Amino acid sequence: MTIEFRDLHKSFGAQHVLRGLTMTIERGEVFFIIGTSGVGKSVTIKHLVGLLQPDSGEILVDGKPVHGLAEREYYPLRKRLGMVFQHSTLFDSLTVLDNVALPLRKHQRMRMSAAREAAKERLAVVQMERYADRWPAELSSGMRKRVAIARTLTLEPQYVLFDEPTTGLDPVSARRVDEMIKRLQTLDVTSVVVSHDLTSIFTIADRIAFIYQGQAHIIGTPEQLRAADDPIVQQFISGRSDGPMETPGF
Amino acid sequence: MSRTRDIRSADSPPAPPASAPDPQRVALLLRPPLLVGAAALGGARVARGIASLFAGTLLRAINRQSERGAVAEQMFNIGNRSLFFVAVTLGFIALVSVFQVCLQLNRVTGDLSKVGLELIKLMVHESAPSLTAMMLATRVGAGIAAEIGSMVVTEQVDALRMSGVDPVSYLILPRFLACLLMTPVLAVFAFGVALGSGTAMAYVAFGVNPSIFVDFSAVTAADVGIGVVKCFCFGAAIPVVSGYCGLTTFGGSEGVGAATTRAVINASLAVLALDLLLTVAGFMLFPPSAA
Repeated sequence: MTIEFRDLHKSFGAQHVLRGLTMTIERGEVFFIIGTSGVGKSVTIKHLVGLLQPDSGEILVDGKPVHGLAEREYYPLRKRLGMVFQHSTLFDSLTVLDNVALPLRKHQRMRMSAAREAAKERLAVVQMERYADRWPAELSSGMRKRVAIARTLTLEPQYVLFDEPTTGLDPVSARRVDEMIKRLQTLDVTSVVVSHDLTSIFTIADRIAFIYQGQAHIIGTPEQLRAADDPIVQQFISGRSDGPMETPGF
Repeated sequence: MSRTRDIRSADSPPAPPASAPDPQRVALLLRPPLLVGAAALGGARVARGIASLFAGTLLRAINRQSERGAVAEQMFNIGNRSLFFVAVTLGFIALVSVFQVCLQLNRVTGDLSKVGLELIKLMVHESAPSLTAMMLATRVGAGIAAEIGSMVVTEQVDALRMSGVDPVSYLILPRFLACLLMTPVLAVFAFGVALGSGTAMAYVAFGVNPSIFVDFSAVTAADVGIGVVKCFCFGAAIPVVSGYCGLTTFGGSEGVGAATTRAVINASLAVLALDLLLTVAGFMLFPPSAA
């Protein structure tokens, strides 16, 4: 079971974001996609679940192409590939419980009462069952993130896509999210994580793809990345403002 | 000829050949038609998008894909919460209209017995549906575009899709059905308020007896039919047009603001265009002599 990107290109107007991205993600690994802001990391994972369509290139999940499908054809895929969005993205008009129950009701056609029962169990896993009747606006960003993770895991996906899961969280909450991601690995879940968080990257990643100028500049283990003699990679890891790296908008 | 050319070349730079047009001048000349063309293409793209969303919404309505309870909630939002706004607007418009008409008629003929008759006829087939719809286009249209637009820019619509929820069924259809049902109800309510305020104005300011003013004898079945059809058409157009503006929001809060403005303008224009179309169609189907 793998995810493959083959020569992926994507433009938004005159902005050519992905310029021939090619990489493979293996089953069961925690795979990080890193790079500067605006380089196309979130764009890359949104292609996997049909939220964006490539201009050209191929995306394969378990050997099957998943680009250019009709919206309804993505539904089975989205049961297997869950996504935790950057800003948690809970539905404002639904309570915490109903947020988590929604995918069960829609994807698995569960009745409301059964979906709510199952959602309570999922919330207990992330220690959020006490807040089941709260509205998203009443939660802190860390709590919202946990609810978003519970909502994504409710369908027991084989792949989970995390879009900057630790952004905006305090260090303790961030490490707890890291632990949660690592625990998923024991359940044979493949995690694809978009992140800037160097602590997360070098703590829980099995492999890392560094995206630069729309391509996978380097792919390797955290050790390989640290040892790379590439000045662009080293500038990113060290966080220096001076160096050869070109950053859009700066 | 040869001598002239020599003199010119000696005193000034050589003139471009007569056959080669000045590129700057050509660009300047082409600019208006290019702008018009781009605007026409943009308009056609929007019209196609709205038509496609309308067809999709209608299909889902036929397949009864709406969330349980969502339509009732939207009926409350669109209907009940618009009551005050519609009542105040239509009430004041009727007050002013009756005052002005009576004032002018008093100067010319002095006969105010037909004012109520004509006002009621006009209200039934024209003013009540169209003015109610214009009020809804501003209040409801802006609300729909802002709510859906915010969901788009905060990725909630993407999250809906990930949760197996069809955004059109979830966001557009309940508003479409609610607006479709509540526009005629609000128009009838608006008619009642306008009639009441008009009658009061005619009685208080001009002494017209309410039993004379409230005269439905000129209202025909055709007037009622045209009014009802207009209500349903406006009720269908407002949520689809403003929902389209919301779904096509791009950017952050600035994008939501732009989408909201676009929704109010486009929904109002849709109401005006449909009003003209339906009035002409009504006139052709039920000519005044037959009506």
